[in-house]
Amino acid sequence: MFMNTGLFEPGKTKTERKFVQQAVKQSQRLDGRKSGESRNVEITFGGEYGSVIVALGETKVMAQVTCDMGTPTTSRPNEGKLQLFVTLAGVSYLDSVQKTHDKRSLTLNSLLERTFRTSRCVDLESLCVASELHVWCIRVDVNVLNHDGNLYDASTIAVLAALMHFRRPDVTFTDGELRTYTEKERDMIPLLFLHYPVSVTYCIYTSNFQPFVDPTLLEENCADSTIILSFNSYQELCTLNAGGTVPTDVRTIMQCARSAANRCKAMVTFVRKALDLDEQQRLQGSTRKYTGMLGLMAKSSQKLSFRTLMKGEQKQEQQQQHKSEDMDIEAEARPSAKLEECVAENVENDQPAQEEDLRMDASGWLPQEAEPEPIIDLTKQGPGKPKRKRNKGNKKKQPQSS
Amino acid sequence: MDSGSAIVMPGERITSIEEVAKEKRVILGPGLRRLDDTVVASKAGPLRHKEPNTFWIDNYQRRYVPARGDLVLGIIKGKAGDLYRVDIGSADIASIPYLAFEAATKKNRPDLNPGDIIYARVLNASADIEPELVCVNSNGKRGKLGLLADGFFFKCTLNLGRLLLRENCPALAALTRELAYEIAIGVNGRIWVKANSLRETMALSNAILTLEQAGYTEIDKICDSLGDVLQA
Repeated sequence: MFMNTGLFEPGKTKTERKFVQQAVKQSQRLDGRKSGESRNVEITFGGEYGSVIVALGETKVMAQVTCDMGTPTTSRPNEGKLQLFVTLAGVSYLDSVQKTHDKRSLTLNSLLERTFRTSRCVDLESLCVASELHVWCIRVDVNVLNHDGNLYDASTIAVLAALMHFRRPDVTFTDGELRTYTEKERDMIPLLFLHYPVSVTYCIYTSNFQPFVDPTLLEENCADSTIILSFNSYQELCTLNAGGTVPTDVRTIMQCARSAANRCKAMVTFVRKALDLDEQQRLQGSTRKYTGMLGLMAKSSQKLSFRTLMKGEQKQEQQQQHKSEDMDIEAEARPSAKLEECVAENVENDQPAQEEDLRMDASGWLPQEAEPEPIIDLTKQGPGKPKRKRNKGNKKKQPQSS
Repeated sequence: MDSGSAIVMPGERITSIEEVAKEKRVILGPGLRRLDDTVVASKAGPLRHKEPNTFWIDNYQRRYVPARGDLVLGIIKGKAGDLYRVDIGSADIASIPYLAFEAATKKNRPDLNPGDIIYARVLNASADIEPELVCVNSNGKRGKLGLLADGFFFKCTLNLGRLLLRENCPALAALTRELAYEIAIGVNGRIWVKANSLRETMALSNAILTLEQAGYTEIDKICDSLGDVLQA
């Protein structure tokens, strides 16, 4: 075993830290991006349903979804199971301890758990074949192939895309007999979703109040704190994960939240588009030369890039971002049209509680000017907990069932 | 250097060298091994040949294997007795004694802390003991060695480090035409740069990293575009 593992990472020397801090002060990034600019996202679908590689710059994450028949838990007899397994084994500069017990792998694990399981994005009841007897167990394996920062976003995009891409075989249960149909007998069935969550990561530095989106590994290692927000396509908050040492005020978090919500929406649209293109290709029956890993990594396999697919929509998105930035400057508690839209959006019944908070009028969502907000303790928090408390009062006054 | 070279894979027997070896002595460089009468590749990459009789494999690697006399960039990891522990990217952590700095005595110790970067020479490198570094030459003078302050530091492949240090490599000269800078290149795949401003340092380090994929012909183009970027 190597004795000096972990040293191959950037951002471990004083020189690098100082340099990045200085650059941040001038709002510059090493790769020439602006503080609110993300790297390009590329999705490659494998030959199998449910296998996906997502590249976020140099960060590469592979997700593979498989399914199996199993028995449900006694507490939820009519629900299927969704299991997530994350390994950092592909990252060569981490040693065995760092791969499993390091803070970052634990954070990644818990983030994925909360984004996809706790938020109940997959309709698990539809995975039940026979109550208390047979349910589908969906297993997602997330393999980190290369780590250049922002594993969180890459992983959530990969998991979401893989789950959306996945098809399970049809099954019937009659007279105590389970019958699984092959692809030729009956069409494969995609999973049912209640909502589509994706995360966005921000780095915050003491020297600049502006949050930096989609950090590289160097930026991440030099950052004073990291905020990860998961939103779904209805712009509802699913996960908030904040850690680090910078005293972050509510305004910064809200600023992050607003742009993250837009970004997540665009990202889900992008994943949908990519899936459509992939489906078209499958229908055309373009034969793939390779299967498995090789197919995903081969140069010939088609990469679907965020920048090319979302060209038209990105302009809109930027305009929206400008709008929201203007709002930050004014910092007025004015209801945003965007959020009212999602009130109107038809949301399924069994959404988690924290999402109800967001469906309220946006004015409750923004920090109030007069009220001096306490500095949020940036230890790991549950999804949106402080917000729930603050909004409790408003909740009753609001006409909820509009 | 012979540019038109074949790619060899580990375990491949290389008969071309064996034939040359019949007539004269050959020198086998990194990535090549002699097994009895045969020459076998132990790394993957293009086979290089330098007249009259030197062969080696120019393989892609990030893990540094220390060799005596190499100039390396190390990161101070901590203190242990009268030694500093230094990470040079090799399998073992290297060490440098307090007395291996210029004008250092038992009382007058160098002031280095974890996270500092030093430019040092490998004094001892063997398979069984930790590599040992020094920051002075045989006359006790530091020359260019020692602590590197400010600037920017990044890691790259070993190839890039070697490429820049090669005598006939036009890269550094071409960069000099564009801007003034200081650079320290370690053969352990680490580079420290410092230019006049933050922007210049950033542009410089990005330019150096792009050189990795470039051939000699493209180097000028990249350096020119660096100038454009800086003027913009």
